[in-house]
Amino acid sequence: MKFQFEVKPSLCTGCRTCELACAFSHTRDKKPGRSRIYPIAYAPDKFVPVACLQCDDAACVKSCMFGALKRNETTGAIDLDRERCVKCMACVAACPFGCALVDEGHDNEIVKCDLCGGDPACAHFCPTKALVYKKIG
Amino acid sequence: MRIDSIDKLAAWRDECRKRLDSQKKKVLVCLGPGCLAGGSDKILEEFHEILSKKKITDVTLEAVKKTGCHGFCAQGPLVIIEPEGIFYTKVKKAHVKEIIETTLEKGELVEKLLYKERNGDGTDHAIVDYHDIPFYKYQKRISLRNVGQIDPDRITDYIAAGGYSALAKTLSSMTPQEVIDQITKSGLRGRGGGGFPTGRKWATCAKIESDIRYVLCNGDEGDPGAFMDRCIMEGDPHSILEGMIICAYAVGSREGYIYVREEYPLAVINLQNAIDSAREHGFLGENIMGTDLCYDIKIARGGGAFVCGESSALMKSVAGEVGEPRAKYVRSVVKGLHDKPTVLNNVETFATIPVIINEGADWFASIGTEKSTGTKAFSLAGKVKNTGLVEVPMGVTLRKIIFDIGGGALKDRKFKAVQTGGPSGGCLPEDKLDLPVDFDTLTKAGSMMGSGGMIVMDDRTCMVAVARYFLGVLVKESCGKCVPCREGLYQLHKLCTKITKGKATEDDLNLMENLSRVISVASLCGLGQSGPNPFVSTLRYFRDEYMAHIRDKKCPAGVCRELITFNINDQCTGCLACIAACPVEAITGEKKKLHVINQDLCTKCGSCYEVCNFDAVDIK
Amino acid sequence: MVNITINGKVVRATEGEMLLDVIRREGINIPTLCQHDALEPAGNCRLCMVEITRTEWDGWKKYVTSCLYPVEEGLIVSTHTSELHEIRKTILDLLLANSPHSDVLQKMAEEYGLHKTSYEPNLEGDNCIMCYACTRICEVLGKSAISPVMRGHEKVIAPPFGEEPPDCIGCLACAHICPTNVITWTDENLTRTIWKKKFELIACEKCGKATISRDFAEYLIEKRGLPKEYFNTCDDCKRVELAQKMGALVDKAKEVAL
Repeated sequence: MKFQFEVKPSLCTGCRTCELACAFSHTRDKKPGRSRIYPIAYAPDKFVPVACLQCDDAACVKSCMFGALKRNETTGAIDLDRERCVKCMACVAACPFGCALVDEGHDNEIVKCDLCGGDPACAHFCPTKALVYKKIG
Repeated sequence: MRIDSIDKLAAWRDECRKRLDSQKKKVLVCLGPGCLAGGSDKILEEFHEILSKKKITDVTLEAVKKTGCHGFCAQGPLVIIEPEGIFYTKVKKAHVKEIIETTLEKGELVEKLLYKERNGDGTDHAIVDYHDIPFYKYQKRISLRNVGQIDPDRITDYIAAGGYSALAKTLSSMTPQEVIDQITKSGLRGRGGGGFPTGRKWATCAKIESDIRYVLCNGDEGDPGAFMDRCIMEGDPHSILEGMIICAYAVGSREGYIYVREEYPLAVINLQNAIDSAREHGFLGENIMGTDLCYDIKIARGGGAFVCGESSALMKSVAGEVGEPRAKYVRSVVKGLHDKPTVLNNVETFATIPVIINEGADWFASIGTEKSTGTKAFSLAGKVKNTGLVEVPMGVTLRKIIFDIGGGALKDRKFKAVQTGGPSGGCLPEDKLDLPVDFDTLTKAGSMMGSGGMIVMDDRTCMVAVARYFLGVLVKESCGKCVPCREGLYQLHKLCTKITKGKATEDDLNLMENLSRVISVASLCGLGQSGPNPFVSTLRYFRDEYMAHIRDKKCPAGVCRELITFNINDQCTGCLACIAACPVEAITGEKKKLHVINQDLCTKCGSCYEVCNFDAVDIK
Repeated sequence: MVNITINGKVVRATEGEMLLDVIRREGINIPTLCQHDALEPAGNCRLCMVEITRTEWDGWKKYVTSCLYPVEEGLIVSTHTSELHEIRKTILDLLLANSPHSDVLQKMAEEYGLHKTSYEPNLEGDNCIMCYACTRICEVLGKSAISPVMRGHEKVIAPPFGEEPPDCIGCLACAHICPTNVITWTDENLTRTIWKKKFELIACEKCGKATISRDFAEYLIEKRGLPKEYFNTCDDCKRVELAQKMGALVDKAKEVAL
């Protein structure tokens, strides 16, 4: 079974609820994490939520010299193994979509979308259903 | 000449022997490290110089030759005249003419150069033949069999002494398994200090599936005061090569290294000469002695780090990496040099192999004790009369080595302790002198046999200062990789220094004991694990001395400067000698009047004590 | 799979797996300083020592560093005996003596009831604990720009001859992996300085923000076959770019539908 984000920019109001959902669902040490998703205005009052595309031939995986980025076969997400990460920023620089991020609130750790283990919080909380995580195929 | 068949060797040996036998008289000049320091190279030159101008019947120029260490370093420089075994001691260049004219020409003895043995009544008697000297009488030489007897640069000398016959026997009549069985049966254990059964090591290596296996020789002898391996490398290099080649045949190796420390330049030269001439004569390289065996040896020179004597650090150093021990629970015989199965044995172990092959495992096992067979070389050093190189059967007592062979403490002072096993060994007191010297007994007593260094100490030695000295060596030589060794030994040394300054408390001593235990269980390699030994063993047997430093702020042996004072007693004759010797002008006095030391100026250097001929300087 | 006993509990583990990994998987906390998942275990800090024995050893036991000990069938492991507590406490005590100002060490030592070192503290000491994490990570990158030099207590981590390391690419992996934060660097405008060597930082061609060093980017392009243009812009600008592309697609689809 495969899942995929369905994004409808026409429904996105740029309310940033997805950001809050993401940050809070990634709370650690009593601090919310940096959001891995951003609604970005591509034209005046026109928004699109941007997050990691979990690319097949991912630049981030290639750029990591320490094997810290690996595809999670269950969720399909590229997960970051924090125990292996050295924070060298190679993935941040290499991702062509700017979706590997630095979490300043957590000691400059690298963060990226992990699909919340298969049930993304952002999609749950999107009030206008601009972002839906649905089964495909 | 290339020996391309087993038979050819026997013919060559006959030739070599005939040539040696044709020399009616032989003059052996010891060029071991001790004698060399005494100028024996000049003595040899002088012999050649005079004899090249002078014809003497029965003495050819070729028969005057250099040898490796003859052993009795305290009496060096040594000159031995064979076949009589005339033993000339403390020879100087000026004596050479006399030796030639008296002994070589007239066949008479130069009395003043003969060895003098002290009689019970205090008089002396001269001994001519060195075999009768107590120092040599109680020895049994196996690994040192040729050292001091042959010219290390002449392969013909080695051949004449039976060299490479064990290799010939191995290649012509033994399977690799039979070689391993013989070594196992002989009970030979690694002479480098670990005491691991050599046969078992070879068998393990041979059993592992691998395309490449290495046979390495450890010549990184770093213990202060130890020079057994050095003397074999310098004095009989071929015996090491022969042992290694036999091992290569047994385990199936094509390549090997001898790891020698850079501080042994002569060992490097002699080994390289030996390797070159062995290769030239077909004992190394392709098709050794015309058989299928191919094996070659290279010399790897170490930079003089003590820790590189540890097997995994040595292999890293050979491979060109930083010489640090590897922290893996895999033995180097399984994964050693370049991660291939590797046999690493000590110089002395390899030098013993040919004898075991020739004389048989049962013969070797009959020497020594049940669990430590054969003989062991020791270097006797420190405050002992007969310093030098000795080899005795395992199981003889420390007393026999130190008193019968070594002649007891220097200047007939009171024996206090003997330090065995190098810096990480321990000190044993007088009541342990009747312990047999073997791998297991000394370890049980808190020291170890180690590679064979033996430093004798008399009653003027402070055991705290000794512990501090050896800890100092280890602090310098620790590789610094793991915490307990790097920081632990450093702190232990610092606390020991504190004791010698009289500033330590009993709490410090408890801290040291606890720290020592942790260092020995938690360290990565043998250096750290045995590192606290100098402290632990001296504390075990000389706790009173530690307490004297801590509680009474006194150094009973009169060594630790902060805790002693020098005073002049009424034995003083007013000779002015100490006044002249004192570097800080702390002593005042007039001729024939009692001298006085000004304690405020005295730096406690001990110069006055050294020069006083009347025992008038007291140290308290 | 093999069965081992940890603190009395039978645990299944994969053969060849390191003991420390199994212990941690069981939720047992063992302190470490030189261990990092991106590195081969080295056994420098000795904090992860555990006691092992086997039934056939007849009461004989030994202490091993769990980070490098491969599990084997029938192993009986204790992770928190009083002797192990003493070993860890002594090691932290020794480290604290040499680096009394390190907050990382202070915090770890506190957990063992150590408020200050039992030894004379080295007030001038830096916080380096010789875990080699920096040199090991540099080795993983295939650079080995820095290495341990000298011996024993004098040992330091340094570039060759104490000069600018020719092989350094300014990636900061060494500085980030350091457990006690000893390795320092500065980023000023578009210049990074580490190990006294200066590096040019790539400026985002849209907003000018500094990203990684040019040497590191070139290394990734060469070693990992990544397109050069990926490194021209910063992550913020790249996200905006993505949004614009997605938006343009949506608008185009709408137009087509209309």
